[in-house]
Amino acid sequence: MSAGEVLDPDDLDERERTALEHLCKRLGDDEFVLAERYTEWQVRSPSLESDLALSNIAQDELGHARLWYDVLDDVGLDEEELVYERDPDTFRHSTLVEQPFPEGDWADAILRSYLYDVAEKLRLEALEESTHPKIADRVGKIQGEEEYHLEHAQNWLERLADGEEGTARLQDALDRLFPHALTLFEPTDPDVEDDIVELGLRTATLQDMGEEWLSIVLPFLESLDLTVPEGGLAEADGYAVTGEMLPAVRGRDGSHGEAWDELFEDLTNTYRELERDRPTKIMEKPE
Amino acid sequence: MSSEIPDPTDDATPCAYTEYNEGKAVPDLPATGEDAEGLEAAVWDALYEIEDPEMPISIVDLGLIYGVDVTDEVATVDMTLTYSGCPARDMLLDEVEERVEAVDGVDGTHLRLVWSPEWSLEMVTDQGREDLTEFGLAV
Repeated sequence: MSAGEVLDPDDLDERERTALEHLCKRLGDDEFVLAERYTEWQVRSPSLESDLALSNIAQDELGHARLWYDVLDDVGLDEEELVYERDPDTFRHSTLVEQPFPEGDWADAILRSYLYDVAEKLRLEALEESTHPKIADRVGKIQGEEEYHLEHAQNWLERLADGEEGTARLQDALDRLFPHALTLFEPTDPDVEDDIVELGLRTATLQDMGEEWLSIVLPFLESLDLTVPEGGLAEADGYAVTGEMLPAVRGRDGSHGEAWDELFEDLTNTYRELERDRPTKIMEKPE
Repeated sequence: MSSEIPDPTDDATPCAYTEYNEGKAVPDLPATGEDAEGLEAAVWDALYEIEDPEMPISIVDLGLIYGVDVTDEVATVDMTLTYSGCPARDMLLDEVEERVEAVDGVDGTHLRLVWSPEWSLEMVTDQGREDLTEFGLAV
């Protein structure tokens, strides 16, 4: 596949299908699981405005999850199979998005959103020129709806970091979340990841995006007087991420923490209880 | 790779609000089917009959329909939604399929949801703007 070529979604070979499936799952699962977590703040956020803002962001992310899952319709995967009927150990989201919120810890929600949204911005840019027409088609729509997410997170970070208690809470959240945020740039499978880039489904490598992400989040967090966990190699030029800095489970490869099992149990509970074989529609088809 | 992360050294607005900016005009959109003939015109007529689930405006005047093609009695409709998280998505798509399918002479519908170019207020027709104004929305 060379630059400028476009994949035919109806005629993918095995390698292309697998790469597409891995890519769309890592994109869609991140959005879906993060949205699930955000909705826990509904009617619990610190103010009415922040409640509406985070709920709305959650709805955006659910919409985006659906856009990515929809792409997999071409390889025969529908929404039931991708969400409700799926083995939880096959989800490919980063462990950042599955972490439970310590009770009432708004600083966690805001910092998580910031770490995630910077990464999302970079990965959307790397999908603008995707060789898969449906991926490229979706990027602009998602970018348009994402713009205010980062602004929301940054505004809140600045306010929280303005006081001692807020800064202390942010620091706790940063120490806890940073290793998980690094898994945003982990491969689902190293060989398939190489294919994703070689086939042009995404135009930047995880490493490129990870470095760019660090070059944005490190100075910003430091400007808020937060201390970012130390880089892995003392002698390295700049900030180095090493395996030891990552959590034991990486998310992308299907390994997840206990929190995910509980969350998945929770979010599929009604579906199972009602013995649904497909997601509910708001209304039956009109007569 | 260019990134336009807001500059953190800028003065933050504590209560930022969303502005609904007009989008960029896109050639050939909004599509209204005014030059359509025969079966395609009939499909456009059927689409005109469908209203947005929240506002009294035809989905054609709202600018959701990007194109209609009828070949060998199969209607292909390209449409978008204003918002990716639209909760009425299934309801609206079902209705479009059903109404188009019901057009005399159409045997099969291929509904393609497209997201580019992004929908914006520029896609709303003059009639649509009147309808929205009448409804009480400033457009």
